[in-house]
Amino acid sequence: MATLGTFTLLAAFIACAYAAAATVAGARRRSTRLIESGIGAFYLVTALMTLASAIIVRAFVTRDYSIRYVDQYSDAAQPLFYKITSYWGGLDGSIMFWVFLLSVFGAIAVRSNRERQRELIPYVVATIAVVQMFFLFIMIANKNPFATYLTQLPEDGRGLNPLLQNVYMVIHPPSLYTGLVAMTIPFAFGMAALITGYLDDSWLRAVRRWTMFAWFFLSLGLTLGMIWAYEELGWGGWWGWDPVENAGALPWFPATAFLHSVMVQERRSMLRVWNMTLIILAFVLTLFATALTRTGIVQSVHAFGEDPQLAMLFGGFIAFVLVVSFGLVIYRLPLLRARNELESWASREAAFLVNNWILLFSAFFILFATMFPTLSEAVTGQRITVGPPFFNKWMIPIGLTLLLLTGIGPLLAWRKSTISNLRYQFMWPTLFALGTGVGLYAIGFHVWVSGICFAFCAFVVGTIGQEFIRGANVRRDVTDTDLVTAMIGLVMRSRRRYGGYIVHVGIMLMFLGFAGAGYKQTEQVLLTPAEEVEVGRFAVRLDRLSTTDDGRKEMHTAHVTVFEDGQEVGRLFPARWFYRTHITEPTTEVAMRRTISEDVYVVLAAYDMGDQSASFQVTVNPLVNWIWFGFGMLALGTGLCLLPESRFAFLASNVPAGTAPTATTTLLVVALALAGFVTPARAQVGAAPPQSYTAESELEADLQRELVCVCGTCPHFTLADCRCDTAANMRGQLREQLVLGKDRDEVLQYFIETYGSQEPLGAPLDQGFNRLAWLFPYAVGGTFLIGLGVVAVRWSRRDAAKEFQASPSPEAVDAQLEARLDDELRNLD
Amino acid sequence: MPSKALKIGLTTVVLTAAVGGLLWTTMSEGAQYYMHVDEVMVEPEAWVGKRLQVHGYAAKISRAKNSLDWRFEIENNGHVVHAEYNGVVPDTFKNESEIVVSGRLEGHRLLVEPNGIMAKCPSKYEAKPSIGGEAVITGGESARETGDASN
Repeated sequence: MATLGTFTLLAAFIACAYAAAATVAGARRRSTRLIESGIGAFYLVTALMTLASAIIVRAFVTRDYSIRYVDQYSDAAQPLFYKITSYWGGLDGSIMFWVFLLSVFGAIAVRSNRERQRELIPYVVATIAVVQMFFLFIMIANKNPFATYLTQLPEDGRGLNPLLQNVYMVIHPPSLYTGLVAMTIPFAFGMAALITGYLDDSWLRAVRRWTMFAWFFLSLGLTLGMIWAYEELGWGGWWGWDPVENAGALPWFPATAFLHSVMVQERRSMLRVWNMTLIILAFVLTLFATALTRTGIVQSVHAFGEDPQLAMLFGGFIAFVLVVSFGLVIYRLPLLRARNELESWASREAAFLVNNWILLFSAFFILFATMFPTLSEAVTGQRITVGPPFFNKWMIPIGLTLLLLTGIGPLLAWRKSTISNLRYQFMWPTLFALGTGVGLYAIGFHVWVSGICFAFCAFVVGTIGQEFIRGANVRRDVTDTDLVTAMIGLVMRSRRRYGGYIVHVGIMLMFLGFAGAGYKQTEQVLLTPAEEVEVGRFAVRLDRLSTTDDGRKEMHTAHVTVFEDGQEVGRLFPARWFYRTHITEPTTEVAMRRTISEDVYVVLAAYDMGDQSASFQVTVNPLVNWIWFGFGMLALGTGLCLLPESRFAFLASNVPAGTAPTATTTLLVVALALAGFVTPARAQVGAAPPQSYTAESELEADLQRELVCVCGTCPHFTLADCRCDTAANMRGQLREQLVLGKDRDEVLQYFIETYGSQEPLGAPLDQGFNRLAWLFPYAVGGTFLIGLGVVAVRWSRRDAAKEFQASPSPEAVDAQLEARLDDELRNLD
Repeated sequence: MPSKALKIGLTTVVLTAAVGGLLWTTMSEGAQYYMHVDEVMVEPEAWVGKRLQVHGYAAKISRAKNSLDWRFEIENNGHVVHAEYNGVVPDTFKNESEIVVSGRLEGHRLLVEPNGIMAKCPSKYEAKPSIGGEAVITGGESARETGDASN
């Protein structure tokens, strides 16, 4: 099996090389056949990586300890679940998992954009394939997960580190990897746009969602990492500015910056070079993060191990990427020139710009401070480290500024805000923030950093609340409903905007949790039975110590009672577990009493079973749960932004037209309920009013959702959603055509002819995105391709050619029309 | 156009200077010298009073009965420094485990800061690595022999 695994990786490497060569050659010679065969090879890589993953997972499950990696990271006593997750528990496997994810995402991205971004796709494939080749090369040359023992097969594996046998650790790495890997897709599109020179905004549209997707998973991964550190490592905090944590956070900053500044490019055609730079930086930083974790250039408790050879490889590749990508940016500078200039500093684009600078500065600051020991050693020969206080000194003011900007941004108008405008927008949030700040000071909160943070949080709440209420009021008057229904309608109408606001609320809640750390209290004590220690309002009493065994591990548990203001509020059981396979590395099992206002966090540090004494670290962490709760809001908001329009079309097409809005509102209510936010008053929103431009037939309703507005100012809303004049005009045309008795295909035909391109068709845009939900079956389905082996390349070529001919709109093949389409897309702003 | 370039240039210079200055001043408070035990102990007098991060291997760990007062030695390449610490130690802090300790040197003793012990257990993620036959001291086998897990 191991041989097959190695062979699979080799085959994947060759397929990657072919994919890159064939697509580039095809694009240069304008040979569709060559491109299609390259894309086929690209899909083949996905299939091969799925096979390789299946082999390693099988080896883990069947306990094939002849494979070194399996021996090192699993043992027979491990539950099946952890056996499977051992796949990404170590260095070699994590790199393979990385390539696997990349191949899957790449296939999805190529598949879903194949029609719309036909010019870009060859280079997208080539870029991704080159990145894959790099990682595959590392595996083949340096870190083969399928390496076997030549002699002496071990009888049982050494087992996954117990610290990693935790549910957060199971989902934390994959979600972080998902985030890091998905960042490759926007980079690939960026590169393709630079190479081809199709630098209009259409590539941005293709990657915006991917960036959001990557950003979300990065956030998820980082949050899970924080939860893991908090619950498992037992030092009472959640972020220690460890190099590896920092590395994971680095790409988050340019990604966040990009998600903001991309709006400026869409609206005002500015910051084109800047956006490209952000994409490149985000990608390079993901490479850097991967390298930092795996090569041990920086000392860290988390690092996989030290490997200078790997460091050289990564260093070389990062340098290559930087030179090529920035070289391309410089080469294309004339095409990237901004079409507008900044008109005023009191404008939203200026706020975005400042936000971008600060985010990017954060990334560079963290990079600098993380690398400082290495840099100082290289320069002075003296290794000088900087600790968490240094990071905090810088990142707290930076974080607070960003929080404030979160509040300010939405209040400023595009282009230029007038004085009266500023007064109208800022009055309430400012008053609210000041009120909160003064009020908190008056009742005795005197940690000023946290105080400022609370006031800024209030400012953000004020801003977003004001946006929601004003928007809902307008909508209520227009649609003549109650405020809550109007608010939900508002969110559904412009999901991106209000989803963004919800993300901001989530960020604000997380900051609330961070600010709580200012009031953290901690004690380290040695207790004998019946003795107690006081920490703030709480007291912890040691009752007794006990020892139990469950077959896999021995558990030493302390039984303690917690008192709040003298009242008994609960019992806790902090423990130390000794796993059989890692008897020398006991794990600390933290015990916590969680409430909305604070956590009581008890760690059993050392103990003596003989005289039953034990030492504890007791920490009271105020507001810490708001971090996790804030992340829930962030996820909800991102989910709203990510929901593709066609997802709704898909849902709605299965139900009678009239009930479609009900279905979507129900969905939203369910989502809110999941977030724990539902109140009985919201039950009434089930009966949302029909849209003011109700379709008269089911066909019309369907088509309204399939066709998109071509005005160029909105991000291609469907006709059912868009409110601009162009959309109204197009709805009129649609009605006209239907009155003439045309059927669906004829109507679509009419629109293609009228607008000279497929632009009004919304469907091809998002078709692929629905498949994201089917990611797993899709990946599994890919394995069936293996059966076809080498023939797959030819097979996919022929298949693709057939598909091409059977395309529903033969006009698209027409060279003349295609040229017009390209032309239009390029002029699209 | 030149005025615009001038503006941008000036802004850049001012910002860089400000940020650089701030970095420099804050750095001096937060910075610690990262040394191996043998580097420090060649000439310990030179390092007295400075904030250090000392890298080495823990030995002779002992704890006074019914207290959180720890005494241990950090050694590397035959040089040893005695360390004193009060507080909770990490799980992986054992005899022979690789540690990085933050503290100040006073006389010949290292006074460890609160939470200043960072135990880098090599087998944390990588089960006993020995890459390409390089001598990587893992501590895995030897720790198992001593077996003193619960202190």
